[in-house]
Amino acid sequence: MRRQRRLVWAAAGMVMASLCLAALTGLYDSGIGVGWRNGFVAWRLAACCLGAVGVIVLGLAYHRLARTVASIARQLSCDLALPTDLRAVERAAESIQDRLQEGRRVIGELEVELKDLRLRSQLSDRQKQHTEAIIYSLRDAVVVVDESDRLLMANTAAAQLLDFDPEVARYQPLGRSLGPQCKDFVQLIQRSRQSATEATRREMVFVKPDGPHTFDTIVSCVQEQDKVSGVVAVLHDITREKEVAQMKNDFVSHVSHELKTPLASITAYSEMLADGEADDEQTRKEFYQVIQSQAQRLNRLIEDILNISRIESGLIKVRKEPVSLTILIEQQMQMIKGFAEEKGITVSGRNPIVYDQVLADKDMISQVIVNLLSNAVKYTPSGGSVRIETDVNEVDALARVTVTDTGVGIPADEIDHVFDKFYRVGANNKQAKGTGLGLNLVRQIVEKVHNGRVFVTSEVGVGSTFGFELPLATAEMAGATR
Amino acid sequence: MTGKKVLIADDEIHIIHVVAIKLRNNGYDVVAANNGAEAYELACREKPDIVVTDYQMPFVTGIELIEKLRKNDETKHIPAVLLTARSFAITQEIQESLGIEECLSKPFSPKELLKTIEDILYQRAVAIRV
Repeated sequence: MRRQRRLVWAAAGMVMASLCLAALTGLYDSGIGVGWRNGFVAWRLAACCLGAVGVIVLGLAYHRLARTVASIARQLSCDLALPTDLRAVERAAESIQDRLQEGRRVIGELEVELKDLRLRSQLSDRQKQHTEAIIYSLRDAVVVVDESDRLLMANTAAAQLLDFDPEVARYQPLGRSLGPQCKDFVQLIQRSRQSATEATRREMVFVKPDGPHTFDTIVSCVQEQDKVSGVVAVLHDITREKEVAQMKNDFVSHVSHELKTPLASITAYSEMLADGEADDEQTRKEFYQVIQSQAQRLNRLIEDILNISRIESGLIKVRKEPVSLTILIEQQMQMIKGFAEEKGITVSGRNPIVYDQVLADKDMISQVIVNLLSNAVKYTPSGGSVRIETDVNEVDALARVTVTDTGVGIPADEIDHVFDKFYRVGANNKQAKGTGLGLNLVRQIVEKVHNGRVFVTSEVGVGSTFGFELPLATAEMAGATR
Repeated sequence: MTGKKVLIADDEIHIIHVVAIKLRNNGYDVVAANNGAEAYELACREKPDIVVTDYQMPFVTGIELIEKLRKNDETKHIPAVLLTARSFAITQEIQESLGIEECLSKPFSPKELLKTIEDILYQRAVAIRV
């Protein structure tokens, strides 16, 4: 290439030189250089010839340069495999550009979708955690198994009730993880799954450390695309509800009996009077007295029920005033003595002359004393004794009343319940009639109305001591002043 | 039915009293007990023609009394009438299995009780005659 460039430059120089020479000869011809005419003619010819040769050489050099450039271009085109058609290249480039843009758009959409999915996944995880937290915090036992009865989940209540470790038992067949005491429960789950029933409900008994408990067991099948994909069992302890229901039934039964008994006397005696079966005035008077006393008995029973209800609902009117427990006890002892003597029971008291005034509703505390005394007489066999005593604890500013009998006593496992509403000591049920309201009324009046305390100690076959403590009036009034 | 002996068992003294007056006024002999255990002893000793007993009594209930009477050869034939404030507690099965002739709900009418006793004793008398 360099040599060719030199050649071109040389040819161009020759052309330029011949042109200059021709120009000078022309100037001479015009008369400016007359003396040099002959000599310059020859130079003029030589310059023209030289110019012609230069043009030829220039042409050859151009031709050669063109060939060389074409050759280089061909070489380049072969070496780089460039598309020969530039428009096709442009179209291809546009197509690639379009595809790139489309790709970027799709990637953008996928990124949004991915973000959305991540959010949904986080939300789902959080909901799962919440659901599990709720299930684990439930007091009801919850067990979840898959379509092959393998344990998927069990909360703490279930683990404690069915006595197994949920982590060890996870993904294991339920029947293998639970003990033989749960055989019925496992069978219930299996049968529910096999029959694909939506919900099965059954009462089942499980033995806990404190004794047998009844559970309302609900087993539900989880359906997915018409197939059972798992089973959820929820066990709700209804022992207390059953006890309450039983107590209510017993209460209704007792109350109806207690109401009907005086009513039966009233009905029978009034019919006898109406039929003229009482011949003489004395008999008629006796009949009227029976009717009157039975009507009063009926009224007392209804009052007891209503009083408990009023105290519980806070609707009872309380008239507190300073009253002497000794005086109240003396009055109530006189009332109960007739009933006690009928049974051959002696009632005595030791009530020292001390300042034992309490701020109390006189009628209510009288009711407490008479209930404790009549209870003691009821459950003491003939020939026994009942003793009522008062005492004052000056240190704690409390007045204390105790009623001690030589009665049948209360078994240790029942003593905590004797003040419960409707509760009757099973072993003594046949000993005497009752509604299970008397001692409950005592507790309600002492503890709820007078801020006192009731207590009981007992030994079967030896006797019982029931009692209550009330704040002394001085202490209550001092407290109110402060 | 004059001279027939009726045993009344009830822990309510007023009920015993009124039933006794009604029956005595109609010519019956009456023996009474205020609990089931005492009533059983009286039944064994006095051999009454009929027993009228309350259902709920201390120590031995009316049902337990009738069961004991049915187990004793000397007393198993004695017809029994049950007075109860809990009529729902006495099913037909219990009544039939214990041979309780009649169940009367409290409050009851002394006239109705008298009629019941008369009917039962009459049917017994007819049956024996046949």
